[in-house]
Amino acid sequence: MIEALLLVPLFTALLCGLARSERTIYVLSAAGSTVTALVAFPCCYQAFSGPPLHRGPWYLDPLSALFVLVIVVITLLVSVYSVQYLQHDRREGEVNVKDLRYYHVLLHLFALCMLLVVVVDSLGLMWIAVEGTTLISAFLVGFYKKGEAIEASWKYLIICSVGITLALLGIVLLYASSMAALGEGADTLDWSALRAVADQLDPALVKVAFIFIVVGLGTKAGLAPMHTWLPDAHSQSPTPISALLSAVLLNCAMYGVLRVHILAQAAVPGFSSSLLTFFGLLSVAIATAFLLTSRDLKRFLAFSSVEHMGIIALGFGIGGPLAVLGALFHVVAHSLTKTLMFFGAGNVIQRYRTREMREIKGVGRTMPATASLLVLGGAAIAGSPPFAIFIGELLITAGALASGEYLVAGLFIALMAIIFAAMTYRVLGMVSGRPQEGVPAGELGALRLMPMLVLAAAIIVLGVLLPSALGDALGSVAELFEVII
Amino acid sequence: MQLTDVLIVIAEVSFVLMVSPLLTGIIGKAKAWMQCRQGPSVLQPYRDLWKLMRKATVASREASWLFFVIPYVCLGAMVCLAVMVPVFNAGPSGGVGDMVATIYVLGLFRFMMVLGGLEGGSPFGGMGSSREMMISAIVEPTLLLSIFSVAAISGTTDLSSISRFFAALGPKGLSPTLFLASAAIFISLLAENSRVPFDNPATHLELTMVHEGMLLEYSGRELAMMEMASYVRLTMFMVILSNVFFPWGIALGTGAGELLVGVASISLKLLLLSVSVAVVESVMAKMRLFRLPNLLTVSFTLSLLAVMSYYIL
Amino acid sequence: MGQLVRSFAFQSLMLAAIAAVLAHYTGSEHIYVVAGLTLVVKGLVIPRFLIYSMDRLKVRREIEPLVGIPASLLISGGLVIVAYYITEPLISSAETVTRNCLAVSLAVVLIGLFMMISRRKAMTQMVGLLMMENGLFLGIISTTYGMPLIVEIGIFFDVLMAVLIMGIFAYRINQTFETLDTTFMRRLRG
Repeated sequence: MIEALLLVPLFTALLCGLARSERTIYVLSAAGSTVTALVAFPCCYQAFSGPPLHRGPWYLDPLSALFVLVIVVITLLVSVYSVQYLQHDRREGEVNVKDLRYYHVLLHLFALCMLLVVVVDSLGLMWIAVEGTTLISAFLVGFYKKGEAIEASWKYLIICSVGITLALLGIVLLYASSMAALGEGADTLDWSALRAVADQLDPALVKVAFIFIVVGLGTKAGLAPMHTWLPDAHSQSPTPISALLSAVLLNCAMYGVLRVHILAQAAVPGFSSSLLTFFGLLSVAIATAFLLTSRDLKRFLAFSSVEHMGIIALGFGIGGPLAVLGALFHVVAHSLTKTLMFFGAGNVIQRYRTREMREIKGVGRTMPATASLLVLGGAAIAGSPPFAIFIGELLITAGALASGEYLVAGLFIALMAIIFAAMTYRVLGMVSGRPQEGVPAGELGALRLMPMLVLAAAIIVLGVLLPSALGDALGSVAELFEVII
Repeated sequence: MQLTDVLIVIAEVSFVLMVSPLLTGIIGKAKAWMQCRQGPSVLQPYRDLWKLMRKATVASREASWLFFVIPYVCLGAMVCLAVMVPVFNAGPSGGVGDMVATIYVLGLFRFMMVLGGLEGGSPFGGMGSSREMMISAIVEPTLLLSIFSVAAISGTTDLSSISRFFAALGPKGLSPTLFLASAAIFISLLAENSRVPFDNPATHLELTMVHEGMLLEYSGRELAMMEMASYVRLTMFMVILSNVFFPWGIALGTGAGELLVGVASISLKLLLLSVSVAVVESVMAKMRLFRLPNLLTVSFTLSLLAVMSYYIL
Repeated sequence: MGQLVRSFAFQSLMLAAIAAVLAHYTGSEHIYVVAGLTLVVKGLVIPRFLIYSMDRLKVRREIEPLVGIPASLLISGGLVIVAYYITEPLISSAETVTRNCLAVSLAVVLIGLFMMISRRKAMTQMVGLLMMENGLFLGIISTTYGMPLIVEIGIFFDVLMAVLIMGIFAYRINQTFETLDTTFMRRLRG
């Protein structure tokens, strides 16, 4: 089952690489992502309802399943959106058919690597998959071979490789801490095995290991102050890829941190939570500062990703049933909303041929459908009801108050208010007013709007009511963090 | 102090005084061979000293009484050093040298020489003096740290005790600390004794001189004494490097057989070191003055690592 | 630049030697495999590839780094002391033969990190990253006598891929900016 899940993207990549015409590539890509999603659903259903799927090197428990769902859904939407996005670039003459092939092969290999990150048992193999995602996405970031794209991809490669090396040091120390507990001959980095003996791990080593892992994998997850590669990489890459990076890759890195967090919680209670809270708040604060001064639309959205990753880390750091549930919900909500925003931004940027927010005006007149979805998405991502992100942030704040962390809750609310103001200012600024001369009116294609509508519907639905299936699923994930809902 | 101990000390000092010019001659000869020429005889430095002793002294008008005193002080400091450092005997009377005192005696020598360069009143002398001080500023901490590291291992700062400690340990005493510290001291040896890559001892261009610049104004007997003092300094550095770091073969008592072995082993080590210096001089080129701190910092970092490695390992 | 690559090759060689000695001491075969891999991949393949890239890019010398040479040396010495200070509580409780190597490995990681920060040419940054991996590898074999073999092989493969990919990017940088000096890449700010 799990092997099938991984083989489908691999085959899709191979077939895309061999395809001749544009159409074939698009059809193959979309079909491949659909099949991956279809294969993923039963696996995840099984993982949520029954005991974790543990066979060979694979380990699918509720946490993995949640992330798998996010990955396959977003990949599907991205591959559908990419069709018309790349067609527009083809018409403009920025890319040729060879580049198209290259893009789709890398896209599916990237999806494969991300899936690998969440379904393997061994922390070492997980590390290898994370490094793999960095290497493959570096090519995607540097897709447009302009100076700034190359600068962004070099920075991305170097900073993330350094981060990952530090994370490996952390994993080695974790392994060292387990040697006494697991005894001779039990030569393993499997998470399931480590989880079983988590309370016997050597505390001093676990502390140092966690610090290295949170700094290392936090670099890939976009936690400040290691986030400096993020605005560059996410703004220079093609927009569907930015969506994939922001919505999914950051989550995968956070997944790694969470796995180790669960182990560290059992070995040294309280230490890893305080670190996560610290980095979370710091990320939100730094992102707020930069959000206010950003002029480039995609950099703006990238800083918003940093902020939301900070919120997620904060949620897990605070702990307790409410905050953890909120953080898990936020993982899903952020992925959906950020993708929606990036898709809208992609439409706007290709129509207006600029990324400066001050120069983009009057989207409401040129592209009414995109404009309304942008306003909806903007409100959602700023945290207003009745959208999904509001629920996530509400739960996290409630959790903070319930645990008595009044200072943290207060800071959090203040920063959210500032971000709400900045976000509404920018989005409304773009949507209202008169467009400049020479900007043609009209939407850029139905295939772009379809995924956006799906996403918008999802975040409204999740914001208003919690389907019981999702509720149960989240509950079973939260149990891993030793909280009972 | 017994009579035998005093005799041994006198023997050590005479040995050092007699051998020093020979070592410089050996270095010159080895360098010449590496350049495929015959080169001057190894006894040439003796002949030069003898020639200089018989010549008259000419002093500059600006020179003060210090000018005439300095050669005596310098040579005296080096003889003192020969007494302090164990040459072929590390017995309880072999040397009376505490290592910190040793470094300070070397400092005295350097200080006097620098003053001598300024005494002449010529700009080249001043230039040589200032360059010498620049190099020494980094060499001194290096020397101190390197010797601290071996002192930390052996638990004492008395040079003969350190020698005895390592001699007793034998090959088991080899540790990274020892290698790092001796590498640092080898680089300092090249720096302090004005060898390539720090200074070309055979240069006649005053603008490139460091050591020779300070000796420009000396002539006759004073020059002979200053040259002799420089030769002895080179020898003493090599003796410190051999006997403190790798003191195998050194005599621990006062038996005649032991002493002969001690003399033979120190002679061998001095020969080896002279040839290594000659090889290094032939292989490398003199570095630009402002790049010298880079190399000196390398040696300082090595000595720092030597001390650290003692605590880490 | 050639000296840089040669020093790296020498470091990898020493690392392979340490691994071999450890394998002999513990008698486990998979460390022999790992030692052999280090020797081949990091001692031969990667340095050859770096020299090949350098020839293609016509890179010659490193430009004056952002921090001068004597200062860099002193900072590196300081980093060794810092590494020792951090790992001291861990070392005293461990019982493996090579427990002191942890301080050395952390020092190499930190010095590699420093090299990546303070040097300007793209290739030197790559070598800094490789040094970090070397230090990490020393940490791996000294604290835990090596990780599960499949993980080790995966890590080697990853490092090799990373070097190849960074080489490709360095080539692109050279094509676009006509130089490998990374301080020229400053258009993205704010």
